[in-house]
Amino acid sequence: MPVHLFICRLCLAGAIAVAPVAVLAGAPSLSGIVTSSDGRRIADAVVFVQSPVQTSKGAKPPQMVDQVSKTFVPGLLPVEVGTLVRFPNHDQIHHHVYSFSPAKTFELPLYKGEDAPAVLLDKVGVVKIGCNIHDWMSGIILVLPSAHFAVTDANGRFVLEDLPPGNYVVAAWHAQSKLKPEEAAQSVTLAHEPAHLDFTLPLAPARPRPSVHGVRAER
Amino acid sequence: MSWWARSSLRTKIFLAFSALILPLLLATLSFTQLLVGRDAERGLAEELRTTGQVFETLLKERTARLRASSTLLASDFALKRVFATHFDPNDYDPETLASAGLSYRERLGIGLVWMTDEAGTLLAASPVSKRTGQSLATLSPLRQAMDSQAPADTIVEVDGQLFQMVAVPVFGPDVIGFLLLGQAIDDSVATQLKADTRSDVTFLTPSHVFASSAARGGGPPRLPGRRAQQTPFLQRAGNERLLSLALPVRAELTEPLYALVQGSYDKALAPLHGLQWRISAIGALALTGALLIGMLLAGGIVRPVRALVGGMREVLQGNLRFRARLDRLDELGFLARSFNEMVGGLEEREHIKDTFGRFVSRDVAEAVLNDRIPLAGERLSVSILFQDIRGFSLLGRTLDPAALLRLLNELFSEVVSAVEGEGGTVKQFTGDGVMALFGAPQVYVDHAPRAVRAALEIVRRLERLNRHWQSTGAVRLRIGIGIHSGEVVAGLIGPDARVEYGAVGDAVNVACRIEEHTKELGATILVSKAVLDQLGAGFELGATAEISLKGTRDVLPVVEVLALHEAETRAG
Repeated sequence: MPVHLFICRLCLAGAIAVAPVAVLAGAPSLSGIVTSSDGRRIADAVVFVQSPVQTSKGAKPPQMVDQVSKTFVPGLLPVEVGTLVRFPNHDQIHHHVYSFSPAKTFELPLYKGEDAPAVLLDKVGVVKIGCNIHDWMSGIILVLPSAHFAVTDANGRFVLEDLPPGNYVVAAWHAQSKLKPEEAAQSVTLAHEPAHLDFTLPLAPARPRPSVHGVRAER
Repeated sequence: MSWWARSSLRTKIFLAFSALILPLLLATLSFTQLLVGRDAERGLAEELRTTGQVFETLLKERTARLRASSTLLASDFALKRVFATHFDPNDYDPETLASAGLSYRERLGIGLVWMTDEAGTLLAASPVSKRTGQSLATLSPLRQAMDSQAPADTIVEVDGQLFQMVAVPVFGPDVIGFLLLGQAIDDSVATQLKADTRSDVTFLTPSHVFASSAARGGGPPRLPGRRAQQTPFLQRAGNERLLSLALPVRAELTEPLYALVQGSYDKALAPLHGLQWRISAIGALALTGALLIGMLLAGGIVRPVRALVGGMREVLQGNLRFRARLDRLDELGFLARSFNEMVGGLEEREHIKDTFGRFVSRDVAEAVLNDRIPLAGERLSVSILFQDIRGFSLLGRTLDPAALLRLLNELFSEVVSAVEGEGGTVKQFTGDGVMALFGAPQVYVDHAPRAVRAALEIVRRLERLNRHWQSTGAVRLRIGIGIHSGEVVAGLIGPDARVEYGAVGDAVNVACRIEEHTKELGATILVSKAVLDQLGAGFELGATAEISLKGTRDVLPVVEVLALHEAETRAG
């Protein structure tokens, strides 16, 4: 099953199973480390509150996936569902951004600069974006059910700020993870102190990508 | 005599040349067979390998073209969009995918276009396939492409037909499916290869022939055992021998796939056969030439040899004037010159003998010429015959001297003939008389009977002469002959300038004395007792008498010999 489909189901299940808890200002944070099965710390993993679903209040700030030097920047963008994402093109050439992902199928035909309209990501799931002209350009927008998420740094560390005390199901996602997010999900109870939670994700080998000027790009 | 010795020179020369040429010819033919045959086979094998290389190159080019085409197609955004529809069952559009496949197949001029989802399930196919909806994940190129997310190619069997197949992932931007393009390896490929390389090509496994440029008849070609692969082997197709090479082809089949490349072995050897014909013709010409040369050479040798052989026959028959006429400087010329010198020598010797024989008897001449007479003389037992004409003094006064000489010569000719007829030697003519020796220089045991027979013959011949002379009105001669046997010393007598053969001894004098008594005893032939003792039977004897010898008181018994019995005459 494609990743985006099971994330959808996961979000739905979480919303039904876990009751919402109160959100308090100045609440403690949840931090931890994501490692692979062989103990390596994993960067670019997304840790997010799966349930209870807590959406942002008010208008969600628009996000952006830039195109610089024929690369999507950032390559991975987690957003809360309902977020508008813009795709400015700062290269001197045209790009043709598209996605065939069920979470969001869209196409921004050839454009430069800020001309392309923003895309509303209104469905939880993985949105893989590419450029029709440049096969090696690839990016992922992870559309998440809640506003609480974090991306691990180069040392695999993450910090989820401003989580009010309560019971949560927290999941971890990585592009190469063999586990579905709900399979990696852990329950955690937060009091008033910062809490710690680690994840271990078995990773599949990196998939080869179309070559860039004759060189295979590994991701 | 061996067969070789009996064969003519011409046959020998021909056989000698043949013995030289035939092994050379056979050796040349064998070497030609070996070398040219090996070259032809090597050349053909090389052609087959070249065909194999051409086929390999063709496969590579087709694969490269398929890869390039499929990669380009997979990047087509419209195709990606249609591919991506399978993510959403509501949006899925298999008809569009299938029609896109047909369009691509026609556009590229290829045999097969398949499209699968990212898990390898066949979404659409052109031409339409019953596999649609089934997983192709185990199909080799797709399996490889799924593993590597990169284009992969291999040769596979689809519905009994061979296909070069390329599978490429369709990125959108991750893999959203796979595009598979296939190009058939069929008879047209084999035929095209044959047109390019002149070698027949068959694509087959041990149990199935997929495609071939050769006519399908007489069953599928045979594959060699594994060991013989990559090594040319001979295979018979009808009346033709084919040199074959089984080249393994990398493919994903249940059995190993081969490109069986074949070329006509007989056609490759055709130049060799032509060459062998020419060599044989040259050999036949050489043999004919050898025959001709043999005839010419033999003629050149045989003719002069025959001339010499003819000359030899002439010489044997007594013609010593024959000279071989060969004007050449080689060995035969030398032989001819030597022959001529030899015959010249013989002629000269014969001339000397003839001339010499006029003055001495032929036996003496022969003995002298052959150096058979020892210088110191030899003691021999001989019989000495003296013959004298009675009343010669009276004849000398009544006859013309020339007529007398003629009579004497006629008589002496008969005397000599009679003496020599019995092997005697006329030693000397003493005016009207003759002295003859029997037993010297030619030694005879029966010298006495020989002498007596010669005497009787002289008498017989004289009677014939007398009849002849009387018929012409001439005189009638009478003679007396005395014969004695005894030991003498015979040899060359006299100084070097006047040497002659002679006998010295008392027996000579005794013989002379006996002859002198013939007249007074009225006998024609008187012989001593010594002679009589040696005569044996057969002689008719007359009266006996005794004669005294001059200067001695001895008497010598003598007997007259009258005739020889018929049987003795014949025996003599």
